[in-house]
Amino acid sequence: MRYNEKELQALSRQPAELAAELGMRAPKKGSVVKRRLVKLVVNFLFYFRTDEAEPVGALLLEHCRVTQEEPTSFSISFVEDPERKYHFECCSEEQCQQWMGALRGASYEFMRRSLIFYRNEIQKMTGKDPLEQFGISEEARFQLSGLKA
Amino acid sequence: MKLNERSVAHYALSNSPADHTGFLRTWGGPGTPSTHSGTGRRCWFVLKGNLLFSFESREGRAPLGLVVLEGCTVELAEAPVPEEFAFAVRFDAPGVRPYLLAADGPAAQEAWVKALSRASFGYMRLVVRELESQLRDARQSLALHRHSSMKVVTSRKPHAADHLPWGLENGHRLSRDRSPTGLVEEGGSRLAGRGLAECELQGPASLLGRGQSPVSPETSCFSTLHDWYGQEILELRRGWLQRTQESQPECEKQDRP
Repeated sequence: MRYNEKELQALSRQPAELAAELGMRAPKKGSVVKRRLVKLVVNFLFYFRTDEAEPVGALLLEHCRVTQEEPTSFSISFVEDPERKYHFECCSEEQCQQWMGALRGASYEFMRRSLIFYRNEIQKMTGKDPLEQFGISEEARFQLSGLKA
Repeated sequence: MKLNERSVAHYALSNSPADHTGFLRTWGGPGTPSTHSGTGRRCWFVLKGNLLFSFESREGRAPLGLVVLEGCTVELAEAPVPEEFAFAVRFDAPGVRPYLLAADGPAAQEAWVKALSRASFGYMRLVVRELESQLRDARQSLALHRHSSMKVVTSRKPHAADHLPWGLENGHRLSRDRSPTGLVEEGGSRLAGRGLAECELQGPASLLGRGQSPVSPETSCFSTLHDWYGQEILELRRGWLQRTQESQPECEKQDRP
């Protein structure tokens, strides 16, 4: 699969929802914990060596699972291989909770679900489709039918 | 730079909804040899959220290419072949060449331009925030309506936002006087202006971003849903308690001759 690295690098320079230096351990066997600057930008998690401007890598956060491993550490795994975990070590329990919360809300699919939920709730309460006034009620990305039950 | 490519490919092929699909001709686009002339190459494209995947064919089982639709604008363009209905995805970043794509007809072209220009995470977040605030207002006015219809004057208006699960979690509250048309303006200018995605990204952290919504994948548990749907009951109960408190002194007077 081809993608333009420069495009992702440009995205990694965008303002972050959350950024911190965390301990990170890749899923590869025998890998050790390294200090990384970790930056959440839209639905991508970028990680940098602490002295470099360009990221070492990026994780697309769709269909991922965020799990608390210890009071101050969590992991990210993806549905196609849940055993393959990226580990992250935080400085405090509070920071760990903050990151897990932000990561769980960071996927486009989560946004889409939330939108459909709000749309339905508003329609139930007011009898009106809240998206109609914006002329976007027909858009595929806002349709309930688009979601598989 | 590394990317969790296997997970990305898995997501591309998963049964999560596609926002737009179709055949497009591409010149040196994602996953294609760079030939900026001639007839280009016809590929199957799938738009999922802010990601545009290309495939060899409709049945393709591995994406050829990926374009992340952030910080870009979509414009009509000239194709090397005159009869094509072309458009370009341009990035406001050094060294990122625009992707030139072409649809089979004007309707398909329009649909693609529309879908791609609304694909950014920021746009989705904007609509979600707007609906969040609308739902909050609807709950509030419903609560007020019920209070007033019972002819009860409450000294302290219950603030709906206090009871919503995302509440003031992160200290952000959407301004109350924000007109609904703001969305149209912001959304509209997004389509035209480049760099607006950046502004959106700089906005306050999403109220939702804390995983507090009842539709969070983690909160299928009953208690969360119960709390969510119980808010209305709490409103009613609060109103009822207030009314009882206010009417009590009179009752006492009446009871005592």
